[in-house]
Amino acid sequence: MATSRSDGDPSLRKDGGATRPSKEIFSRLLVANRGEIAIRVIRACRELGIESIAVYSDADADAPHVRMADRAERIGPPAAADSYLSTDALLAAARRAGADAVHPGYGFLSENAAFARAVEAAGLTFVGPPPATLEALGDKLAARRSVAEAGVPIVPGLLVPLVAGPGGVAEADLAEVGFPALLKAAAGGGGRGMRRVERREEIGPALEGAAREALAAFGSGTLYLEQLVAPARHVEVQLLGDLHGGLAVLGERECSVQRRHQKLVEESPSPAVTPRIRGRLTDSARRVAGTVAFDSAATVEFLLDAAGNHYFLEMNTRLQVEHGVTELVTGVDLVAWQIRVAAGERLPDAVLRAAPRGHAIEARIYAEDPHRSFAPVAGSVTTWNMPSGPGVRVDAGVTADAPLPSEYDPLLAKLMVHAADRPAAIARLRRALDETRVGGVQTTLSFLRWLVDEPSFVNGAYDTDLVADRWRGGPPLTDLERSLAAAAARGARRDAGAPQLPRTDAASSGGSRWAAEARREAVGRRRPG
Amino acid sequence: MSAIELVVEGKAVEPADGWTFAWVDRAAGVARLSDGSRSISCLVEGAGSEWFVTINGRRILVGARTWRERMLAKAESAAAGHGGPVDVKATLPGLVVAVGVEEGDDVAEGAPLLTIEAMKMQNEVRAPRAGRVVVVAVGAGQAVAAGATLLRIE
Repeated sequence: MATSRSDGDPSLRKDGGATRPSKEIFSRLLVANRGEIAIRVIRACRELGIESIAVYSDADADAPHVRMADRAERIGPPAAADSYLSTDALLAAARRAGADAVHPGYGFLSENAAFARAVEAAGLTFVGPPPATLEALGDKLAARRSVAEAGVPIVPGLLVPLVAGPGGVAEADLAEVGFPALLKAAAGGGGRGMRRVERREEIGPALEGAAREALAAFGSGTLYLEQLVAPARHVEVQLLGDLHGGLAVLGERECSVQRRHQKLVEESPSPAVTPRIRGRLTDSARRVAGTVAFDSAATVEFLLDAAGNHYFLEMNTRLQVEHGVTELVTGVDLVAWQIRVAAGERLPDAVLRAAPRGHAIEARIYAEDPHRSFAPVAGSVTTWNMPSGPGVRVDAGVTADAPLPSEYDPLLAKLMVHAADRPAAIARLRRALDETRVGGVQTTLSFLRWLVDEPSFVNGAYDTDLVADRWRGGPPLTDLERSLAAAAARGARRDAGAPQLPRTDAASSGGSRWAAEARREAVGRRRPG
Repeated sequence: MSAIELVVEGKAVEPADGWTFAWVDRAAGVARLSDGSRSISCLVEGAGSEWFVTINGRRILVGARTWRERMLAKAESAAAGHGGPVDVKATLPGLVVAVGVEEGDDVAEGAPLLTIEAMKMQNEVRAPRAGRVVVVAVGAGQAVAAGATLLRIE
């Protein structure tokens, strides 16, 4: 399903499945990120024979990514704005360490054109697309326009910014979109600055809230309005390009299990995508890639409605959190290839023609309480038992017994499984979840364990409303769960030592454990009420 | 009949009949409950009268108090009575986006006090008990650290 974008010299494609990197690859790469994704990039560096440089804020001095890298540079205080988001601090660290390339991971500065430009101005290679491409795609509204011109379907809605103010919003514009509608930030992503607007009258307050959120998150409060496509599934296509016109289309990922417009579970292939739909998604993804200068890993996100029509949402020119799902089904190491194409290598046939095999699912373990609207929780992870065995991959970045840094994303680990088909993958995920134990904080594990037995997920007929419609606040505790929890607590407490007795009682009973126990029982029985 | 009273979500619970408890890895808190045919793995953490039991990924708080502990707690709460000042603190670092009360306002228990945005979420901070707001230490637009005092109720 992968071919070259340029139909030029056919010999370009004859380099086969070369797996060894060329000699010109980087010698030292700075990983401008933290947590599990920093570890993922460090692992790729190690396999490629590149020295890895980790960076850390004061909150991360002893973090796993720091211990894992070949060397580490401090970049500032815990606040992300002063550390992982500080171009100056990161470039100074790169200079001290003698790095010749920078990998931004995801989030933080990964799609920041000014950062990419500063990296290149410092004479280093930015592992990602050219700054101009980041700029073009960073403006979601402009991207909507250019993608529509390229013949790709977009969600019906406005192609111009929505302006709040004394004049208010043009009635004609609103009538054109219709309600319910979705308010989005032009500079946005990740669900921030996004608001569902049910009725015309709600647009005022929604605009105000969304603009405030967008301004705080992206430095721009520009908003636009789209028709709400519902029910809809969120399906994205993975792309990998090189500097020589090679473009691999590596299948799709289904990402409809979401809360707050943010993903919790992803799978590939999508149970909703037929070969015919896949053909159309692939064609659209290629057209989108053709609108920009692009030579790295990227994802084109689409909405898929109940009739199987797809609409372009946005293109992200970075590694996605859920990239591992594609790696499992295609066998293509996206991070290693991202680094190799940045060094100028061509994608070999083995990558360009990689065919997905089997079914993969990723389940994200967050320090969030799914029974309290997925609110982030504070605390420390104590017990940390991750699953293993056939077809299981865990990407994690957790330090047990240290407080979770509340400054950053509460993602603890990504549990991924790969099996021959979807039912086998779900069974494997259920088995892996049962092997997983995280102590100290409530995590999304309870939601995930529920999900693998939820009929709409199991039969594949779910959409982005699954969490809101089916999970809601989660099922109440059953009587059996309560009584089992009580039995466990009683067992643990008894085992921890007999409860303390009133000293006078202990003295008069002669100190015998049996006598004390008998007396305690008697006292308990006499208790009022 | 057990002298330990077990409480889940505010209600007394009888421990599951016929299930036995055994540690699998005590240091890690891993335990097993078994009724002879079925067996369930769980994580048990805590000490004294407060335990967290995680079953199927869900962390369940279980109160496990002896009669004496229950009597002591009752006596303590009666002695503490009402009226001491309470500082309301931020549980996560974030940005104060709105303050809904002023100094001198009387608030009921559970009344919304202010809104903090943290980790992409707007969280409402509510009054831990009824009283009068005597100090408002923060304003809208202000960044707060975890543990920072937001206001005081007397």
